[in-house]
Amino acid sequence: MANYLAQFQAIKNTSDRLVVAVEDVSDLWPSVKEGLEKRLPLKKASLNNKTRNPVYVENLQAEFILTTDSRLRSRFPQEQYLFWFREPYATIVLVSCEDLDEFKTILKPRLKLIVQNEEREWFIVFVSKAHPNNDQATKNAKKVYARLEVDFNTRKRERCCKLDLNGVDASFWEDFDFKIVESIRNTLDRRAQFYEEEIRKMSEQRLMPVWNFCNFFILKESLAFMFEMAHLHEDSLREYDELELCYIETVSTPGKQRDFGGLEHGDDQAALLKPGFKPLSQIVQDDSFREFEFRQYLFARQVKLLFRLGRPLEVVMRGYSFIISFSKTLALHENTLPFCLREVWVISACLAIISSTSSTYDGLAAPDNEKEFYRLHGDLYSLCRIKFMRLAYLIGYGVEIEKSPVNSASLSMLPWPKPSIWPAVPEDASAKVLAKEKLILQANPRMKHFNIQRKQLPLEPSSLLREANRRRASLSVGNLSELIDYRQIDGSGIDGHQKFSPSTTNSMSRTYSGPNLESSLSLDRPMRISEVHVAAEHALENTVTDPDLLKSLSSLEEFEQKYMELTKGAADNYHHSWWKRHGVALDGEIAALCFKHGNYDLAAKSYEKVCALYAGEGWQDLLAEVLPNLAECQKILNDQAGYLSSCVRLLSLEDGLFLAKERQAFQLEVVRLAHSEMKHPVPLDVSSLITFSGNPGPPLQLCDGDPGTLPVTVWSGFPDDITLESLSLTLTNTLNTDEGVKTIKSSDAHILKPGRNVIKLDVPPQKPGSYVLGVLTGQIGNLRFRSHNFSKGGPQDNDDFMSYEKPTRPVLKVLKPRTLVDISAAVSSALLMNELQWLGLIVKPIDYSLKGSLLSIDTGPGLMIDESHTIDINEYAKTMEDKVHAHDSNTITENNTHPLEPKQLYIENGKIALPDWASDTSTTLWFPVHAIDDRMARAASAVSCADSPHRQNMVDGMRTIALKLEFGAFRNQIFERTIAVHFTDPFYVTTRVANKCNDGTLLLQATIHSQVKATLCLYDAWLDLQAGFVHVRKENGRPVSSFFPLVISPSSTAGILFSICIDNMAIAADQNEVVQAESILNVMYGISGDRSNGAHSPTSLKLGSSDKLFFKVAIALQRPILDPCIAVGFVPFSSNCLRVGQLINMKWRVERLKDLEASPSSSCKDEVLYEVDANPEIWMIAGRTMGHALLSNARGSRTEITVTCMPLVSGHVRPPQLGLPAMDDANISCNPPGPHLVCVLPPTLSSSYCIPA
Amino acid sequence: MAGTACFIIVSKNDIPIYEAEVGSAAKKEEASQQHQFILHAALDIVEDLAWTTNAMFLKAVDKFNDLSVSVYVTAGHTRFMLLHDSRNEDGIKSFFQEVQELYIKILLNPLYLPSARIASSHFDTKVRALARKYL
Repeated sequence: MANYLAQFQAIKNTSDRLVVAVEDVSDLWPSVKEGLEKRLPLKKASLNNKTRNPVYVENLQAEFILTTDSRLRSRFPQEQYLFWFREPYATIVLVSCEDLDEFKTILKPRLKLIVQNEEREWFIVFVSKAHPNNDQATKNAKKVYARLEVDFNTRKRERCCKLDLNGVDASFWEDFDFKIVESIRNTLDRRAQFYEEEIRKMSEQRLMPVWNFCNFFILKESLAFMFEMAHLHEDSLREYDELELCYIETVSTPGKQRDFGGLEHGDDQAALLKPGFKPLSQIVQDDSFREFEFRQYLFARQVKLLFRLGRPLEVVMRGYSFIISFSKTLALHENTLPFCLREVWVISACLAIISSTSSTYDGLAAPDNEKEFYRLHGDLYSLCRIKFMRLAYLIGYGVEIEKSPVNSASLSMLPWPKPSIWPAVPEDASAKVLAKEKLILQANPRMKHFNIQRKQLPLEPSSLLREANRRRASLSVGNLSELIDYRQIDGSGIDGHQKFSPSTTNSMSRTYSGPNLESSLSLDRPMRISEVHVAAEHALENTVTDPDLLKSLSSLEEFEQKYMELTKGAADNYHHSWWKRHGVALDGEIAALCFKHGNYDLAAKSYEKVCALYAGEGWQDLLAEVLPNLAECQKILNDQAGYLSSCVRLLSLEDGLFLAKERQAFQLEVVRLAHSEMKHPVPLDVSSLITFSGNPGPPLQLCDGDPGTLPVTVWSGFPDDITLESLSLTLTNTLNTDEGVKTIKSSDAHILKPGRNVIKLDVPPQKPGSYVLGVLTGQIGNLRFRSHNFSKGGPQDNDDFMSYEKPTRPVLKVLKPRTLVDISAAVSSALLMNELQWLGLIVKPIDYSLKGSLLSIDTGPGLMIDESHTIDINEYAKTMEDKVHAHDSNTITENNTHPLEPKQLYIENGKIALPDWASDTSTTLWFPVHAIDDRMARAASAVSCADSPHRQNMVDGMRTIALKLEFGAFRNQIFERTIAVHFTDPFYVTTRVANKCNDGTLLLQATIHSQVKATLCLYDAWLDLQAGFVHVRKENGRPVSSFFPLVISPSSTAGILFSICIDNMAIAADQNEVVQAESILNVMYGISGDRSNGAHSPTSLKLGSSDKLFFKVAIALQRPILDPCIAVGFVPFSSNCLRVGQLINMKWRVERLKDLEASPSSSCKDEVLYEVDANPEIWMIAGRTMGHALLSNARGSRTEITVTCMPLVSGHVRPPQLGLPAMDDANISCNPPGPHLVCVLPPTLSSSYCIPA
Repeated sequence: MAGTACFIIVSKNDIPIYEAEVGSAAKKEEASQQHQFILHAALDIVEDLAWTTNAMFLKAVDKFNDLSVSVYVTAGHTRFMLLHDSRNEDGIKSFFQEVQELYIKILLNPLYLPSARIASSHFDTKVRALARKYL
């Protein structure tokens, strides 16, 4: 049966669609052919799949072939049987007959003959040629057709349909299609059943010696092919899958040694998409097929079906796993295959799958599938890339391959190819060997930037040189020494691979001393590495048939181009599939190549991507590998900002990743750049390198307005000391974010040691609130840097570590403004006016040190400080205590007193420096003042009801003293206050005439009211009388009776009586003398008081000296009104009540009581000057307030003065008063004197505009 | 004990917080970087796989020539990744489970901030002991 393979192949190639046979009984085919073929392909066909489930197939291809056609004839029965799938799936019998008899006699037997073959699916198409107008013919045709139906239709199945050539009925075609599909379906079912049965039978023999896989394959593939023709791709695919399984099982059965294949020219190119790559008959081997070709064939068939099914994703999935598994299979047979065929095959297979699927992939799949698709593409690309790199390495491009973790991980774990014999150097290859050597020597292993010295990552699982020579299996001791010599002479151009140690030498010599040692000694001396490369290249040229691949390996440039293409493909696809880590690692490779070619821009971009990923995820080991490359790119591109930040990042990597020397190099770079002229000075973020935190412990507390010094811990990650030109730090107020940030600066140069540094920063006065550290900025050379990272602080077991990522702790608290000090007067009672008095001030610090404070004192008018005196200072509390214990003064405790405290201070330029001991305690300052009042005190008469003299005294005695205390560490705090001090005369005097004796003697009583909180002692008092009064008995003015000294307790009164009489002679006599207008009471007194209570004896008085003070009081004495010449009277109001806003006339009547004697003062004698005095806030006066009223000199003449006025406020108010300024008070008799107060009612409600409804 | 094994704990934000070469094979300087690289790349696969299963032990998610990467994902999405050349799946599973116990103890330490590097030498000793026991 295996002989049929070739035929089978031919049949498969020719028949690609279902065949429908046409039995043209009545020569009708030419006339119906066109109509019938129009129905193809069948629009919709319901077929059964292998499991007998209906499947709808669209556009089922089919072909009508006449039974007389040569293709259907001349087939041997066995052939038919074997290749049954190509036999017709339905038979259409075309019949036409117009005569019933003819039908019965001729046609019917013939038809019976045709349809008797049970295996055929047939149906009859009766073609009626009758014209519709020809009734007879139509009738006949109907009759015949009816007869036909009776004869051939069965109950189960109708097998007849009728086609009218003239006027085709649409329903006919539906019927026709249905019948064809029905036939095809039935045939298909039957044949599938047949094949399955055959296959089952054959499967049972699988373990028997007669088992022939080829036969099984033909059957199985026939079935698969039939399904494929019927568009049942799914079933077809399943058949192939089963076939593959079965084949693998067959191949893997031990015993028979089979040829693997893969030795022919062109086998290195994978035939994964080319099922017809090799005819099957060529790959037959005994009862089976060669694995190499056959598995590819099966896969190709599967791929074809998958593409038909529109499943490119599955193609890639199956493709990838097929390549992997097949690659393993190839590895098993590697010693028989050409050199590196496995690698070459994988490359071509991957590329084939990629190109076929990416062109068919429409990208409309579900996201998950799309991801998967791209991922597999990425895998394929990267697999291809690895194999390609391996080939390149073999032929000597290895020195140019980047020794990155990706490449190293891929290549160093990938075993070398294992050919049975490693290729030998071709004969005439010395030129090539030289070229390779040159290449190796020229390849300068790129020095890493910053002189980073790393052991380069290996790209080979074991030394290629050793492997190749081992595989040459001809190493001898002598040769080995030669090899070593060579290496020594050669230098280390190929270094980075290995060093031979003596032990390996020995083991190798043992291992490789084989039987052919002697014979091959001269032939096979060990190859040098360049020779290995040349040999490999030569061998590869024999293996590779793909011109593209050959070209890619032909030169370094071509290699790099292809390498780039593959790397990019892998990276892009990984990125599409969201496998960013895979993608980014490959981006690094792209960058390395770009860098090599001088595309620093692209390289930097790609490196940045890589670094960003590694840095973001914190894989510092990997970052440490790439970051120097990025830095180098940036340096070359003159991207100073980037370069600096890269350096900083390098410095901030973990300690163990770089040597101290390297880290110093990084720092040097930073410092060098910082001190160079930068065109655009860039800010640099050193958050990872310089971190900072407040000191542990409670935050620094400052009072509002106080500056301070804030200690900050700064961690430097630099390996060496680094000099900072300046340093500043922002503080953020946590309570009030509107304020923004405050910057505190330290312009001094700091040198940061590696590790922990404590830096003290001056804090200017801040607003109240709680402050946290914000950003640290500073300058290194011209470089401004900033760091906003709180210290995670050096070694991790440090306590500071805990502050990492914790909510930031306030480092500074500025308290809300409050009074820090209070100054008040020590004494509230009055002091003596015009005497030197101690003024006490209590200076009370409120939880705040007054150290170094300065008190300025500025006295107001009428007050002066006696600077000749020292100023006393003592503790306030002690003063109080002294007071409390005043009665037992012996027990005063001396504990509180500072032995050295200066009790005396001096005032300089109006300023007093407070002593240090007084900085925290309340103290009382006593300084001597002198209040001056030039006016003479006046006694009040009990008769006159003018303003209280006492009150007047109060205002007059007020003196102010402005205090300004500058305190705080920098005298920045200022406390200002103006204190009122009350000064007063020791007493005030009221007088009254106590009695008026008949003899004209007046008893004048002077009442003395003490005004001070001190005991007064009157030693003497005498009265100097004014003109018009004389003392009785011409005494010296002493009181009537002498009780002196007279003691007046605080706030009490005492009285003194004087007897005086009126001097009638005086008026005329005093014309030419200086008239004493007022009487003066002279008092000699003493005072005994405590300065802490109030008035006290003046400070200037020393003990023992005369402590008598002198005080004068003016007393106004009035002669009684003896000759009134004018009387003034107030005329009652016309109305009872006054109202606000109502005009009223105020009238006064002035009457002359006697004839006016000639008076020198009055120029006009017949008139009188008047003045109306009214409070303008209460009264509005219309008319003149001052004027002359006519009044004749004759006695009894009278006049009336009228003033119109209007009250402005309601209530009891004082009415306007009439005064006569030209007249002496003594001459005016006011009786009655007029009302003190009048009642003014509120205005009447105005209802002018309120009209009742 | 396995010849090559590199164990690494990756925090939920992809940062390696603990790493140890626990293989018995002689340490090669360049190997650790390669191992890191392989484990880092395997995170891509873990990301895909972790959400498709309820199991914590994801078995071998990636193969790199002879080496496999086995992964164990904790409920907090911390990933224990082991690069190894042995095939002892049960041992690896037990190893992971016991390491998780240790890891939880580390987490319970109030002074340990989640996702910070594990610097405990006790933890390190224990993990190495477990590796000797199971791998």
